[in-house]
Amino acid sequence: MRNQRTKMLVLSLSIIMMLTILSACSGGNSGEGSNKGNNTSTNVSAEDPDADNSGTETADGNQDVEELTLFINHSWYPIKEWKGSVADKITEKTGVKLKVTVATDDKQLPLMIASGDLPDLIFTASDIDRLSNSNISYPWNELVEKYAPNFEIDPTRIAINTMEDGNFYTIRNAFATKQEWENNKYALGNDGTPGIAVREDIMKELGNPELKTLDDFVKLLGMVKEKHPELVPLVMDKNWIESYFMTQFGIEAGFGSWYENEGKAEYYLKHPKMLEFFKFMNSLYRNGFILAENFAHANDQIDDEYAVSGKAFAHSHTVSVAERDNISTKQNGAAYTFKMIPSSLSEEAVRVNTGVGWSGTFITKNNKNPEKSIKLLQFLASDEGKKLTMFGIEGEHWTWNEEGYPNLKYNTADSDFVNSNGIKWWFLYSDAIVEGLWGYVPGTQTTQALLETKAITTYKPEVGMIQVKADSEEKTIKTKIDEMVTNEKVKIYLAKSDEEAVQRYETMMKNAEKIGLQKLDDWANKTYEEKQSLFK
Amino acid sequence: MNFETKWATPFKAKRHQILWKRFKKQIVLQLFVGMGMVFLLIFSFTPMFGVVMAFKDYSIVTGIKGIFTSDWVGLKYFDEFVNDYRFGQIVRNTLILSFLKVIFAFPAPILFAILLNEVRHMAFKRFVQTVSYLPHFISWVVVVGIAFSFLSADIGIINKLMVKIGLIDMPMDILTNANYFWGLAVGSAVWKEMGWWTIIFLAAIAGINPALYEAAEIDGAGRLARIRHVTFPGIKGTIVVVLILTIGSILGGGLVGSNFEQAYLLGNDVNNPTSEIVQTYAFKVGLADGRFSYAAAIDLIQSIISVLLIFSSNYIAKRVSGSSLF
Repeated sequence: MRNQRTKMLVLSLSIIMMLTILSACSGGNSGEGSNKGNNTSTNVSAEDPDADNSGTETADGNQDVEELTLFINHSWYPIKEWKGSVADKITEKTGVKLKVTVATDDKQLPLMIASGDLPDLIFTASDIDRLSNSNISYPWNELVEKYAPNFEIDPTRIAINTMEDGNFYTIRNAFATKQEWENNKYALGNDGTPGIAVREDIMKELGNPELKTLDDFVKLLGMVKEKHPELVPLVMDKNWIESYFMTQFGIEAGFGSWYENEGKAEYYLKHPKMLEFFKFMNSLYRNGFILAENFAHANDQIDDEYAVSGKAFAHSHTVSVAERDNISTKQNGAAYTFKMIPSSLSEEAVRVNTGVGWSGTFITKNNKNPEKSIKLLQFLASDEGKKLTMFGIEGEHWTWNEEGYPNLKYNTADSDFVNSNGIKWWFLYSDAIVEGLWGYVPGTQTTQALLETKAITTYKPEVGMIQVKADSEEKTIKTKIDEMVTNEKVKIYLAKSDEEAVQRYETMMKNAEKIGLQKLDDWANKTYEEKQSLFK
Repeated sequence: MNFETKWATPFKAKRHQILWKRFKKQIVLQLFVGMGMVFLLIFSFTPMFGVVMAFKDYSIVTGIKGIFTSDWVGLKYFDEFVNDYRFGQIVRNTLILSFLKVIFAFPAPILFAILLNEVRHMAFKRFVQTVSYLPHFISWVVVVGIAFSFLSADIGIINKLMVKIGLIDMPMDILTNANYFWGLAVGSAVWKEMGWWTIIFLAAIAGINPALYEAAEIDGAGRLARIRHVTFPGIKGTIVVVLILTIGSILGGGLVGSNFEQAYLLGNDVNNPTSEIVQTYAFKVGLADGRFSYAAAIDLIQSIISVLLIFSSNYIAKRVSGSSLF
């Protein structure tokens, strides 16, 4: 009898276990399903009673606030929620509220595309050509014609973003034509421009040596090493290791991109100055100015720690590095400050802006309200919308200066303020001019560095149009070359002698040829010739 | 004919009845087995159909349907991998790292279990055992973080200590030197997993009949002799089974596993010449780039090598020790 009971107990336990396992398997799916169901009929005020939106809703009478899902394919995105005064204002103007998901890594979007499980809107800078597919996204041209006939988009932008099927599925932000750049002298480049900051106190101690050439800078690092052996002379952000120095050598392309040479497009590896640049980087290492460990940084905060905690003299990152470091050192109560060194340290210094835009918004076929979606973008594209997203609320956050730039009432480097108000980051549709005006704050180091950079910048968006397509042969070749260079370049930087560096450089070039560098360039040239007509 | 049908039916029915009865008796055990089978079916066998991808020109835009509808390309991706400029280096790294792990990480828990078994102080024994298996529960990401703060040339506490007491003049770049990677990987894997696997061998030792030890003692066997002639033969079966399983998963790191995690997390641009293995390469140039077909082909090559290894090790084990998996 007792045996029977134990048996029954064990039996029922194992059945329960099995059920839990099975239901756990399907749990994820069913949860998502019910979520989707919710979204279609979401009433914002019901879900989020304390949001300001509830007020607007009643004010607008019957107009429902539509909640759309937005996937942001930038895992570093500082804003993860639709809140702050700017977001509220956008909702008030457009009747759209966004439910935001920020990517956990760069594999998430490809997997979402593969599984067909897409949100209403996607904001991304990669996989552009995968999403530009009429099975996946709505072409903007169709939506504009149907729902927003008065949404006027500048023809150059349309041309740049038009795909082979004749449709355009997004307009990327952060782009301006050469004409627009020239017409807006206060519009500067954005923070994606390299810069180096140095410790002001140590500069003073060394008698503020002159910094006119790259040699001066190298000598300065030498002096620091001698006088302050406890300091790392130069620490570099892992994503900004090469950029500043390549600029000084007159190499007008970054890693993984093309440059123009006598009317032909060539991959950056072929630039005649590349060897010289590699030798220079190697000399920095051999002189002990940079650490080998710098090339092994697992994240982009390690270099900041070096700089802020006073273990490094110079810190290379972007033009705003000095100001950001200063905010952090101040918080830490440290006595020293950083200042930028000039953006150009040689006559040859050159920057070519090949930008054709950075990130764009896609309206997927899963979108439950394409009409409101395109109208949201239309609002963001309007003068009012662009200024609202980039500067904040007029009067409260900024006033317009007659000179042609906004007088901001806050510090743009104060990321807590910027992020909590939702300034800048909702630029789902924007352009480089209004983004550039945000960067113009007279008297700051960042602005100074950006002005210097703009002075040596030329604009060649046609080069930026050379973009390999997903699943194409060129893409495979390019990925392989880039991957190979990532591994081989470090060997050159860390070579034990000049000869070894040269020899490793040659091996790298041979590998590139073997993988198909020539084939890649042939294709690039063909594309380049085709695309040039867009900008005439 | 008539005779046969007449007599066969009741027999068959009876056999069925007996089977059913036996099944009913074992119902609880059968349910446990059933759950395992369902698990394998759903998570191991069903996804295997995806392997056809390796022979097809698959693009992720086409979704799951695309696995079946895309064009056949035969061995194109296998060919591409074999002709890759790093093929030799990557395969070498994978094999060396894997074999080093078998050589060092496999005997470690056995020796440790035997040592622990000889400890007479119970509290100490328990303490050591607990401390040694705790690292098993720390994820690799955290282990790598710990390794960084201990071994880094610049902020690593071990380097600082060794410089202070004058063992070395310059800090060692353990994390950023291609020559140290294999040692680092094997060492950290042994540290993390040794205690965990010791449990299995301790259990096997516990199963040895104490009478054997007593008999050996009466025969005048000392400690070492008892280990050699009683403990060791007593756990030989367990060792062989675990060894075969280890060799089956050798390319993933064997007993201690985690080849991928280590190569991916401890690997960096500087030690890349020794840290890049087949799996990380498949991940970087395949998955990350959306080239699922290529990634599938690379991993399939690795799986084939693994299957060959498990069959040959099973065969050798059968020949040498008489015990084997199948």
